Amino acid sequence: MKRRDSIKTMFLGSIGASLTLESCITSEDKTVLDQVWQYNYGRTTEELKWDYKVLTGKFFSDTELSTIEKIANIIIPPNEYGSIKDAGVVELFEIIAKDFSTPAHNQYGEKVLRRGLIVFESICNSRFNKSILECSDEQIKSIFDDIAFSDNKDEDLQEAIRLFAVYRGMVLTGYFTSEIGIKDLGYKGNTPNVWDGVPEEILKDYSVSYDEEWISRCVDQSKRNNLAEWDEDGNLLT
Amino acid sequence: MEIIKSKKEYDVIVVGSGAGGGMATKILSDAGVNVALVESGPYFDPANPDQQTQLKWPWESPRRGAGTNRAFGDFHMSYGDWSLDGEPYSSVDGTDFKWWRSRMLGGRTNHWGRISLRFGPRDFKSKDFDGLGENWPISYEDIKPYYDKLDKLVGVYGTKENMFNEPDGFFLPPPKPRLHELFYIKGARKSNVKVMPSRLSVLTKRINNERGICFYCGQCDRSCSVYGDFSSSSCLVIPSLKGGKVDLYVNSMVNEVITDNNGRATGVSFINKENGKDYKIKGKIVVLAASACATARILLNSKSKAHPNGLGNSSNLIGKYLHDTTGAGRGVFIPELMNRKIYNEDGVGGMHVYSPWWLDSRKLDFPRGYHIEVSGGMTLPQYGIGWNPNDFNKFFGLRTGGYGDSLRDDVKKYYGSTVYLSGRGEAIPLKENYCEIDPDTNDKYGVPVLKFRYKWSDYEYKQAKHMHDTFEEIAYNMGGIPLGNKPTKKDNYGISVPGEIIHEVGTTRMGNDPKSSVVNKYERLHDVDNVYVVDAAPFVSQADKNPTWTIMALSMRTSEYIIDELKKQNV
Repeated sequence: MKRRDSIKTMFLGSIGASLTLESCITSEDKTVLDQVWQYNYGRTTEELKWDYKVLTGKFFSDTELSTIEKIANIIIPPNEYGSIKDAGVVELFEIIAKDFSTPAHNQYGEKVLRRGLIVFESICNSRFNKSILECSDEQIKSIFDDIAFSDNKDEDLQEAIRLFAVYRGMVLTGYFTSEIGIKDLGYKGNTPNVWDGVPEEILKDYSVSYDEEWISRCVDQSKRNNLAEWDEDGNLLT
Repeated sequence: MEIIKSKKEYDVIVVGSGAGGGMATKILSDAGVNVALVESGPYFDPANPDQQTQLKWPWESPRRGAGTNRAFGDFHMSYGDWSLDGEPYSSVDGTDFKWWRSRMLGGRTNHWGRISLRFGPRDFKSKDFDGLGENWPISYEDIKPYYDKLDKLVGVYGTKENMFNEPDGFFLPPPKPRLHELFYIKGARKSNVKVMPSRLSVLTKRINNERGICFYCGQCDRSCSVYGDFSSSSCLVIPSLKGGKVDLYVNSMVNEVITDNNGRATGVSFINKENGKDYKIKGKIVVLAASACATARILLNSKSKAHPNGLGNSSNLIGKYLHDTTGAGRGVFIPELMNRKIYNEDGVGGMHVYSPWWLDSRKLDFPRGYHIEVSGGMTLPQYGIGWNPNDFNKFFGLRTGGYGDSLRDDVKKYYGSTVYLSGRGEAIPLKENYCEIDPDTNDKYGVPVLKFRYKWSDYEYKQAKHMHDTFEEIAYNMGGIPLGNKPTKKDNYGISVPGEIIHEVGTTRMGNDPKSSVVNKYERLHDVDNVYVVDAAPFVSQADKNPTWTIMALSMRTSEYIIDELKKQNV
């Protein structure tokens, strides 16, 4: 069975008998299947069922999603690597709102993520008599200046400050776990390689060096393919 | 209720496919013994692209790897964690125990830290040194030949150090230290803490033609698709299946060992999780390797006329002496490691250097030692990165928080500047720490579940306090700033909840006296001559060493004993 077919079988098997025939797949189901296929990361059948739940349905309204996008773009403005949209940050808000829904999460989507929007909107409304979407970036920044810093002790703003920290955290985590964000960060790994120690120029930068005695016992990467053999005292011969 | 019985009689039924069960399956089937291997979870092969998480990027998960389904994140290779749907457990008397269960071929060896330490001569005879706990009925000399074979069969890197209680082995060469590890070496040495290359079962060099060599992605916790690290699934069970001597039953939850009128085992019964039906299979010998607590549960649930309080439980000690490794940890911010030049430093999936126990306990106010593990570096981003992008500003009198382009720079500025120190110590096994059957609660398969009672003693609290004193000293000597507040007595010195370090052992402890132990020195029940236990349940004590290497060496030894018994037709 081809990989994609086997996933499809697992998936259809998991969402119920009504969908077991190819012909019964509605266009909506097909969209979901394609979405699940987009995320291809070694799931068990139970996890696929959970992902189905998370990837379907709608938590935020379109207006709410546009508001999140506007806020997110001010928290992390676009640069040469891309934008909040390219990083999929808004989708992450929508997914986490549905995903963090176990009893332990204590209605995170409602009590934290949506609550954030409600609180930010209400500040906006009382200051400018407008919604966030109607405000200029400068007006929104004037609010952020009051709620984005942990040293503001204004009691009336404590909830907003706490919720803003969550929004900032979500935006940054979404950005730096995206393809463009990781490129921006410069992370170089997650790829097969033969690691042979800290580069020489880096050691120099920090005025540190490898201890000769220590390093003499470390792996000689030119012999990594030679089958290991030892003498009877455990000394490596190859 | 319909029970499906198979006519075939196996030589040996092995329950559980982790470190102990996988090793037993390999040794027994290689010797031509017919084995039924019964695993409660699904088939798993890290090389299967449908199951693989190695080398996935965070954006390949819709939740960017967050821990909703898997406690340590989406890419972590364990099916199951401290909670399983429909399979509850509880703790009594305001105590707390966290029970990790990996339900899959290979069990917890798919996600483990690969830290592969031999127990030393002292570890088998600790009571002789401090009068606490109990000695093992075997010594280091008894198990040494099996550690030697294990090193060569499975592979472990390390260096010969000639330390009394940290025996050397047949080592592959270790990788060179990473930059933050060089900082640790400097700090530890300044604090008079011994530091040396770590010992991990990762192939830095070829050991056979079936397994690949480490390609340094730093993701051993995802289980290696080229079998460059040790998992029981990829390195023991899957190769054993090719020999034609093993029938593998997956998704099969063993609930009972079946006995005849004389009280001898005749097989096991299990529930097939896919169809919900009950099955019975027959075997001349039953080898339990379901994990320390699951094995205790099966034995306690196997009641009969001959064994009214559970199979092999005439001592009433099954479930008792449960103990886990102690744990405490502290983050350290190293200002010198700010604004790093970025290069690939994933390395192997774990530390390249560590500190074995370096002190003489007789001069301290706690009896048993601990080792220190080190982590850090410019690691693969996952859900959570950037959450507090500039918290460390506080160390420079700068504001924290804010918004805008500067946040991006803050994340980059502090990326790779934190090192984490973790202490892992030996606890004293106590009879009062145990798991037992909870008669009031069944799991979703109708089988009575476990109830735990576990409290640390003052010895462990004092040990955790010492760990934190040491972490602070090393932190400053590394040129770092310890993060957060140092835990005090009020916070139990930051010690882990029992079970959190996932090294639980001791529930069918080994000994010569059937009144004070459950299995003999060959891991056979005192009460029943054809039931063996090869997971961590027979551990009398667990040193400050991670248990896997000793589970496997003992399982190898027991399996050879079983082969002998079968040859002599004693069974």
